[in-house]
Amino acid sequence: MIHQYKLGGYNIVLDVCSGSVHVVDDAAYDIIALFESHSREEVLARASALHPDIPAGELSECYDQVAALRDAGKLFAPDTFAPMAGELKARTSGVVKALCLHVAHTCNLNCAYCFASQGKYHGERAVMSYEVGKRALDFLIENSGTRRNLEVDFFGGEPLMNFDVVKRLVAYARSIEKEKGKNFRFTLTTNGMLVDDDVIDFANRECANVVLSLDGRKEIHDACRVDYAGNGSWERIVPKFQKFVQARGGKNYYMRGTFTHANPDFLKDIEVMLDLGFNELSMEPVVCAEGDPAALTQEDLPIVLDQYEKLAELMIRRRKEGRPFTFYHYMIDLTGGPCVYKRISGCGSGTEYMAVTPWGDLYPCHQFVGEEGFRLGDIWQGVINAEKQAEFAACNVYARPECRDCWARLYCSGGCAANAFHATGSVTGVYKYGCELFKKRMECAIMAEIDRQMDDEPGADR
Amino acid sequence: MTHIKTIETRNLCDSAKNGGCGECQTSCQSACKTSCGIANQQCEKKADK
Repeated sequence: MIHQYKLGGYNIVLDVCSGSVHVVDDAAYDIIALFESHSREEVLARASALHPDIPAGELSECYDQVAALRDAGKLFAPDTFAPMAGELKARTSGVVKALCLHVAHTCNLNCAYCFASQGKYHGERAVMSYEVGKRALDFLIENSGTRRNLEVDFFGGEPLMNFDVVKRLVAYARSIEKEKGKNFRFTLTTNGMLVDDDVIDFANRECANVVLSLDGRKEIHDACRVDYAGNGSWERIVPKFQKFVQARGGKNYYMRGTFTHANPDFLKDIEVMLDLGFNELSMEPVVCAEGDPAALTQEDLPIVLDQYEKLAELMIRRRKEGRPFTFYHYMIDLTGGPCVYKRISGCGSGTEYMAVTPWGDLYPCHQFVGEEGFRLGDIWQGVINAEKQAEFAACNVYARPECRDCWARLYCSGGCAANAFHATGSVTGVYKYGCELFKKRMECAIMAEIDRQMDDEPGADR
Repeated sequence: MTHIKTIETRNLCDSAKNGGCGECQTSCQSACKTSCGIANQQCEKKADK
């Protein structure tokens, strides 16, 4: 299967199953489109009609180049991966390598669009005790098999409302990781309200990544991200984030925004983030129920797709000007990306990745917390609801009929189970709106990477 | 003349032979938290690629 598109002045052909990416001229673009369903003579006759200015010999040569790539397995490669679907998960069955620790089911902000209902996840306010957190880390080590790299995200609500426990848990993990042969990678997701020098020093020392929530324009941010008195938080958090990021000294962070029906023109928010000095950015479509005033609509879709294209253009322009920035969804490593096992297995929610509530319950991921039917077990007994876990173990790109013919399937691995569940009622459903956004992001990401590689070539003058 | 420029990529068919160690980052754990995309993940098994 191939996918062809034109973007940024490039004719791009993706060979889905080999992962090959080709940049082609107009003649090759048309020949490739006809290649599989027509004979050589038919292809060349049509190509000649489409390109009367190109000599027949040259079109013939172009056809041969396409055929050579097919023979080399770099065009029209067959999908032989379906039998491997589920193999990685079967092989690593029972292995847990990442936990989202909900250290605080409470928040000091009252954001209108919060999928966690202001940190409470449809339940009571609570904070995780040190004992529960410690047991969660022990559970992770006990269940991680031979996996060396273990990921723990401190999440909420607002995790800094339980900062002392966060610090003690990190100290505990560091005290045992060597003897256990593990390497903990901690991350912290925060709204910034409680960021101070102590938090900055701690995070820069211990956290491989921090996710900082900022929606961009002050009026956009403050329309949703308000405290319980209804006051916007932008002016309070931006200086803290600027100090935080400056002190990170090159360590990873994401300035993460959410865009909603109020700002499908989110590029303006990204530009504000850049103006504030942030250059590792993530901007995510809101996750909420259909009909919610914040939900993105069908009318928003073309605007959002156009914004993604303009974002890629901005990224390219700034890179050429020596002012690069990264956008989470446009980071693509064509040579060092994931293997096919990872690409067909999905995100690992409910199997290798779980969320832990303040009282030690296990859920397939942070987005399922509070959905009682999705409770998998707890950190003392492990997974009890094997039937529910089996649903997640069976989640892979081939489990979704809609994905089988999608060109983007090996870039998205079947999508987010939580998004699918909320959109369709099934974790193996498909959140079609999200697919449209994802496909556009992939087209843009690959185009921007092609442009970068072209510029890196000797003699490049683009 | 060359009509096609092939960008260097990881061959996915080959990765079926030496992949699957499972050491790579969990997809949305430390970033977006609201979507699954694996395209921007890094392979941890660099030596074998």
